Amino acid sequence: MWDYFKIFSNPKKFREHGVLGMNARNYYIIGRNNKRSLYPLVDDKVQTKTLADKININTPHKIGVIEHQYEVKDLLKIVDGHSEFVIKPAHGSQGKGVLVIKNFSDNVFTTASGKQLGFNEVYQHVSNILSGLYSLGGQYDTALIEELVHFSDAFQNFSYQGIPDVRVIVYKGYPVMSMMRLATKESDGRANLHQGAVGVGLDMRTGHANNAVSHNMPIAIHPDTKADLMTLQVPMWKEHLMIGALAYEMTGLGYLGADIVLDKFRGPMMLELNARPGLAIQIANRRGLKEVIKNVDKYYPQDLTAEQRVDYVLNNAT
Amino acid sequence: MRKKICSVRGILAICLILAIAFASYATYYKITHWGFGFTPHEGTEVWTVDAHITFVPTGEPIEVALSTPRLGEEYKILSEDVVAKGYQITKDEKNHRLIMKSGPKKSEQSLYYRIMLYDNEDVVGKVRDRTSPKVKKPIFESEQQKGMVENIWALADAQDDDGTAASHIIKLLNDEVLEPEVDAYLPVKQSQSIMAEKIIDLLAYKGIAARIVRGVKITEKKREAPADLMLEVYEGSKWRIYNIVTGVSGLPKNFVVFQRGGVSLFDVAGGHNSEIRFSVIQSAVSSFKMAGRRAEYENSRLFNYTIYNLPTLEQNTLKWLMIFPLGILLVVLLRNVVGIPTMGTFTPMLVAMSLVRTGFWSGLICFSLIILLGLLIRTLLTRLNLLLVPRISAVVIFVILIMQMLTIFGYQYSFKIAASAVFFPIIITAWIIERASITWEEEGARNATKQIVNTSLVAVLTYFVISNPYIRHIMFAFNEWNLVILIIVMQLGTYTGYRLVELKRFAPLIKEKE
Repeated sequence: MWDYFKIFSNPKKFREHGVLGMNARNYYIIGRNNKRSLYPLVDDKVQTKTLADKININTPHKIGVIEHQYEVKDLLKIVDGHSEFVIKPAHGSQGKGVLVIKNFSDNVFTTASGKQLGFNEVYQHVSNILSGLYSLGGQYDTALIEELVHFSDAFQNFSYQGIPDVRVIVYKGYPVMSMMRLATKESDGRANLHQGAVGVGLDMRTGHANNAVSHNMPIAIHPDTKADLMTLQVPMWKEHLMIGALAYEMTGLGYLGADIVLDKFRGPMMLELNARPGLAIQIANRRGLKEVIKNVDKYYPQDLTAEQRVDYVLNNAT
Repeated sequence: MRKKICSVRGILAICLILAIAFASYATYYKITHWGFGFTPHEGTEVWTVDAHITFVPTGEPIEVALSTPRLGEEYKILSEDVVAKGYQITKDEKNHRLIMKSGPKKSEQSLYYRIMLYDNEDVVGKVRDRTSPKVKKPIFESEQQKGMVENIWALADAQDDDGTAASHIIKLLNDEVLEPEVDAYLPVKQSQSIMAEKIIDLLAYKGIAARIVRGVKITEKKREAPADLMLEVYEGSKWRIYNIVTGVSGLPKNFVVFQRGGVSLFDVAGGHNSEIRFSVIQSAVSSFKMAGRRAEYENSRLFNYTIYNLPTLEQNTLKWLMIFPLGILLVVLLRNVVGIPTMGTFTPMLVAMSLVRTGFWSGLICFSLIILLGLLIRTLLTRLNLLLVPRISAVVIFVILIMQMLTIFGYQYSFKIAASAVFFPIIITAWIIERASITWEEEGARNATKQIVNTSLVAVLTYFVISNPYIRHIMFAFNEWNLVILIIVMQLGTYTGYRLVELKRFAPLIKEKE
């Protein structure tokens, strides 16, 4: 019977390793650093995109926005001239409700998985987005149509379909922890760890893999592509960190998560921001967040520009 | 920063101590002053004493007088009632006598005086009386008789225990083998009242005042018994009461005094063959009903501002509400300390509330049935590709139809389980179905099942807390503890430790390091 309890660890050891729990995150980190009034800036992707453009953060170009049901019929007019694009809910999370159109010609929409959709089906999908099906509280939403990201080949062997992205946790403007999320067969092309995606912890100085987990358990190779995860290196690492650091300037959120994808042509692009990023990143890095955050509070210099902060991290991160 | 939390926690800790102190005192007060108990079944014992007077009228106007117990003395009187049809009833408050008058009557008369008593406050049997009573010295018929009395006193004084003179005399007269002197003094035909009079005479010889006390010994199932006698002796400046057989002093716990001293227990004018008989019935009344009476005696206005003074309907509603803070505390603990994710924060609580009304197993089976059918229908709806609001509305209507169907079938086949369907909150149930279905589509059947199981688990736990009659009683009777719960919930708002499930979730993080 006692064996069962062995799955629980001693909280004392957790504290020693600086593991950040959900309660402590909400109380100390989010409660203190993230003003509630700033949430709409990151919860609404249209707003985030507008802000990002102002501060020169790379994001996929906006094609159009549909706010009202009567505008849905104008969809064809909006996407006219674009053969590939993405339709997503402005208030969606975890990739819910994202429709990727790989090819659009002769009124036929071909999705990423090769499925062919007619106008009616896409119309229905946009209507669902507007009625709030994918938004957090079920409130009315806006559909955002933007350009398709052309994923870099750098991670071709590491992800089973889907979109590999880099999640950077930014505390008081300093990127403190990061991981790469790789889709698996089980996660069905999605990059959510609790759905079975692989999390790869990244070294803050280099952007090189330092650790990998699947379902909370350590792994060395990708379960589907059999790629050696420890060889993973994120190109343009400094640019990734710059997006994170600038996101702090842009939103004023003291604790945020930036989801970044690497475009073949345009380099790292910010897909979305999160005001309450999860804690699974600690497992992927096999490292507690509290420890790093403490260091930022104690030793990291204040009043630096975004670039100076990134340089500081690149040189001093432990 | 740290200091700030410390102070928030500090303030809450002080509040917690204050709340606990207040709740403890309130509990103590309610138990001692209002007689509340910790268990729901605990009531106050209430005794119904019937004094039944019978007599045959002589044809003249009738006047019946009955000594009644004094209000607030020894026992407290819950209610007083006279059944005397055709009599004019007046109360002589000063002498504690009930007077019933009527014109001439023909047949045998039967009058009832009924009181409901409670709470034998521990009266030690001493009634203060400043004015020292006059003692009528007995007049002896002969010198021989006087000698007898003196002999008896000599015997009484010879007893060397620390009892009083009165107790010595009573014992002497009640010995199993009587001393010759005593035997000669007592008449051949003995009754309790004759004995009492003889004792009074003996005491009067030495100048000690004594009187007969009549009342009722309250014992269960007393039917039509005569009044019980006791003796009251004036000692020092108090009347002390004695058992007439054993000589033990002090009023027994179960004795109600109707009459004491010179006046009679009851008089009947205009009747003969009069008799008084007492009957006693024991019953229990809930503490809450009694509390008001007790408060009246204490002149406590406070009671008027409690929930126990409300009409029963409001009381029942509040009784139902008073249990929720504890259920909420449980939900907070399960979410923030244990870390069980449920669908919606208070959904389990609402399901638990329904379970209380439906009964546990029938409710649980019925609930599962509704969810299962609902999910099936929701799957069909998915194919229709409806918009969100109309779709969830359709699910709501389907849930209503399922409930109706289950209830009708349940009634037809006397299958009570299904009949409890109506008690489930429709909108909440519909949302559970909707969310489960979305989770199912997006995160797979395993996650959806897990969420439903989690929600049910928390609901069942909450059910066991809010349905427990003891817990319900305590939270209602001592509702000040809800204040303590409030502060604990606020304290939990500053809990930044790990959740139990996190100890498992983050375990690989440490293990690898070692």
